[in-house]
Amino acid sequence: MELTLFVIIGAVSVAAAAMMLISENAVHSALFLILNLACIAFFFLMLDAPFLAMVQITVYAGAIMVLFLFVIMLLGAERVEPSRQPRFRWLTPMVIVLTLIFLVTTSVAIVDGKINLTEPQQIQPRVRVVHALEDVPQIDAYLNGAPIAQGLAFLENGDFSTHNPGRYTVAVFPAGADPKTASPLVEQTIDLQSGEALSLTAVGRSTPKLVLATEDLSYNEKKGTARITAINALPDRDWVSVFNDSSPDDRRVLIDKLDFGVAETIQVEMGTYTIGLYPSGNDRNSLAEFKDEKLDADVSLLWVFAEERRPDNSFVNRLVPLQTSTNPSFGGPSHVGQLLFSVYVLPFEMVSLLLLVAMIGAIVLTHEALPVRRKVERRLAVNPTVGVEQPASSEGK
Amino acid sequence: MKTPEVAVELYVLLSAILFIMGVMGVLLRRNAILVFMSVELMLNAGNLALAAFARQWANGDGLLMVFFVMTVAASEVAVGLALIVAIFRTEKAIDIDELHLLKD
Repeated sequence: MELTLFVIIGAVSVAAAAMMLISENAVHSALFLILNLACIAFFFLMLDAPFLAMVQITVYAGAIMVLFLFVIMLLGAERVEPSRQPRFRWLTPMVIVLTLIFLVTTSVAIVDGKINLTEPQQIQPRVRVVHALEDVPQIDAYLNGAPIAQGLAFLENGDFSTHNPGRYTVAVFPAGADPKTASPLVEQTIDLQSGEALSLTAVGRSTPKLVLATEDLSYNEKKGTARITAINALPDRDWVSVFNDSSPDDRRVLIDKLDFGVAETIQVEMGTYTIGLYPSGNDRNSLAEFKDEKLDADVSLLWVFAEERRPDNSFVNRLVPLQTSTNPSFGGPSHVGQLLFSVYVLPFEMVSLLLLVAMIGAIVLTHEALPVRRKVERRLAVNPTVGVEQPASSEGK
Repeated sequence: MKTPEVAVELYVLLSAILFIMGVMGVLLRRNAILVFMSVELMLNAGNLALAAFARQWANGDGLLMVFFVMTVAASEVAVGLALIVAIFRTEKAIDIDELHLLKD
């Protein structure tokens, strides 16, 4: 179906471009170009780039072409009479022949050229850090020397950052420590693979370690369920069990025997649950009950079971739910915005400056020339004795 | 994401066709504004190819390049059309065969 749609819209766009070139009236050409731009916007939608499709319609068809139409109408340039200048006689056929040869060559190259189609659709991996280390108030995390999280408080998580697939070294330091000189709290080499969202949870008290929780971002097969990855960050317990305590007489076990520092993934139906956390070997007295945990469908959740030390040195068990969207919105506004304001800030600023300069330039160019101020001639007072006959002098006898 | 039905080569082929039509417009049309519009057609063909490859490699950088190309095209159109208007004021013609002030 997508192929037939592509062929139809492609034919429309090529026909519109051809009509734009052939049409005598400039306004008709502009309208055909708008049709072509709308087809390109539709192609952007087919290519998983909805943000670009909307920007195309808003900026190109909505602003640029309107500007063109205004100028055409302003200059009265709908029809251009054949010019008095004789043209190179073979210009038109030569241009057509040459461009067609070029087109045939590039088409053959494209269709036969075996564009490398291995590994398409690889989504770039994302990494974030969760702080569940006891007795460390804040941490910084570095990936191959570049910071990915700074000043994370206890049970706080950093944002996802996108990286290229490969092998990286993760190092976690107390906040404010210099990564080059200080020794890390925990250091580990990890492999980032495409299509993963990796959450690195730093757990432990005296011997900290990193728990890798990979959330598979592929299409959720079981609709209506939430995918939960649970991490045990309670250092004093050997293992815990997680039960669904929603109804007191029908307790269902969700995860049995979750060891310390281990992540396990389960799929749970959507709904509102009361989750009970039970220590090893004792399924009567719960460590903690977390009421009203709402699970939406088709989300990927990361649950971190951790202990929080209260100011009065008592401990309370906490469940920290962290959410990752299962289907990343490739090409959506948030994706484009994340890239634009993190990696591409400098080109963004430069292009904004260019736009400003273009605006000022357009104003200067179309500004009517100010009337030339002629230099004011100042007329001197004419000597009244010049040109007046002197009466005969009475002196000088 | 599922495997795309329409291969990337088809998109690049369409982009090449539109680009060639833009080139023909730039070389053959006499109205300066038509030449400008053909340049816009060429830029759009390039944008289509960029977006197709961005989907192929699932890399958002291609989409950002399209964004920047669109912005630069907008500023270019603003300045270019202002130039045409300014030329029209003095020459009263926008036939590019007649505008040869720089020629000896």
